[in-house]
Amino acid sequence: MRITVEHLSYRYGEKDKNLTVPALCDVSLEINEGDFFGIIGKTGSGKSTFVQHINGLIKVQKDSGKVTVADFDLTDKKCDYKALRSRIGMVFQYPEYQLFAETVKEDVGFGLKNFRPDIKEDEAERLVKEAVELCGLNYDAIKDVSPFDLSGGQKRRVAIAGVIVSKPEVLVLDEPAAGLDPKGKEEFLQLLVKFHKTFAKTIIIVSHDMDLIAEYCNRAAVFKGGRITAVGTPKEIFSDYENVIDCGLQLPVTAAVVKTLKEKGVNIDCDFTVNSFVAAVKRFKDGGNL
Amino acid sequence: MRDVSFGSYYPAKSFVHNMDARAKILISIAFIVAVFLVRSFHFLGFAACAFFVVLSAVTARIPFFKVIKSIRTILFFIVLSAVLQVLFNKNGTPLWEGGFITDIGLINAGFIVARITLVVTGASLLTFTTTPVELADGIESLLTPLKLIKLPVHEFALIMSIALRFIPTLIDETDRIIKAQKARGADFESGNIFKRLKALIPVLIPLLISSFRRADELADAMDARCYAGSKNRTKYKKMKLSYRDIIGFIVIAGLITGVVFLNKFYIVLAVGV
Repeated sequence: MRITVEHLSYRYGEKDKNLTVPALCDVSLEINEGDFFGIIGKTGSGKSTFVQHINGLIKVQKDSGKVTVADFDLTDKKCDYKALRSRIGMVFQYPEYQLFAETVKEDVGFGLKNFRPDIKEDEAERLVKEAVELCGLNYDAIKDVSPFDLSGGQKRRVAIAGVIVSKPEVLVLDEPAAGLDPKGKEEFLQLLVKFHKTFAKTIIIVSHDMDLIAEYCNRAAVFKGGRITAVGTPKEIFSDYENVIDCGLQLPVTAAVVKTLKEKGVNIDCDFTVNSFVAAVKRFKDGGNL
Repeated sequence: MRDVSFGSYYPAKSFVHNMDARAKILISIAFIVAVFLVRSFHFLGFAACAFFVVLSAVTARIPFFKVIKSIRTILFFIVLSAVLQVLFNKNGTPLWEGGFITDIGLINAGFIVARITLVVTGASLLTFTTTPVELADGIESLLTPLKLIKLPVHEFALIMSIALRFIPTLIDETDRIIKAQKARGADFESGNIFKRLKALIPVLIPLLISSFRRADELADAMDARCYAGSKNRTKYKKMKLSYRDIIGFIVIAGLITGVVFLNKFYIVLAVGV
């Protein structure tokens, strides 16, 4: 599913136009099928407002641009949001706070039953089981347990299973790694890679974590004050140090090291993932210049 | 969800904003008493009360449409009670031959509309000009005598300020949970009333759970700072009565006297006629 956003603007509290600052201002962006797309920017830069437009949680305001997802036109009043949302999964910050049902099985199946009301019970259970196991949990051990009795990490996995159960083609994640320890974060990102390889052809990730963006994304956009200041590969974005700093962000560790080395007169060319950085340093060393 | 305005404080610098919260609470109560003192058919009394509301709004520098807007939330209730009066009042003479709408029905409807509107706009002026914290402090101070019969007045006031403090937080939280469940295909906008109520369960349960979590965290935070209730506790903002409050009391006393006088006066007038 290709996502096209053209000249999108958004204001909170439409009524008093003079009192509100625009949350989004003339934003245009294309996200292609297959992208692992990063959206970065400091708090209040419009990232969340932007991604919530993609599945119609925030409706496009009048005369404020255009959002098209595959063949869904989100400016059209008759847009079938339910069909759209069944194909775009959205994981919010701290997704475990949206758990509500009595059992894990019921909670994970909630979305499935909303999107496909006449699904057969055994088919639903099969899909729920698949989703729970895909998230690295033992389905038979926890299916009848209350989600509130699980540990924090398990809760988050159950909540994510509840989103991916309908196999969305696009998965949007808002600060998904917040509050996870380094190991939990790593496991979680591996999970995302797994989703990306199987059903979620496009992944859009909103984050403050530049290392994560540099490591996993193939493209990214930088937001500042409701506008996009840069779009491109992480290499392109983080090579423009001034813009990144100007947007109130930090460089990923690799890019920071490359920058420091460059200032000392040593040029290393890599795309800022850890592997490519190590390879570049090795190449440099073998060249015998160090 | 965001446009829910509850007890919305309207920040401004004015005579009324500077009044003591206790005085404003007492005056508001007295005003409600005044409105209820107005007897049936005595619309002059209502005119006096309405004049008081306008006077307060002007001295409080609150735009008039704001005051009118405060009726919006209970507009349905007002209209309903008026319609019921008009349709079902059997007293008085019918307006036309064999009709079911009577003159007294119409007058009573007008009476009820005036009464509710005045009480609500008057009370809204209190919340427009007094911050929730001031209100809670004021109520605590007014209830202090109840400490004599061992009522935990300070704790009541604390509960109230905490509840008020968490309203915006809960609204934000509700907003977020609704969005998260909508993203999972939850539908809050279609179906009959029972279906819609049932659709709220996935919102209410997470909300309840996070409220408990917040309450626990808040209790821990208060414990960690050695909070120990009202004993020997001093206040950062001391409340003081000033000349403004005296003026307020005089005006409201004037209003009540006026209403009582108009009640009597009208009878004299009616007898005279």
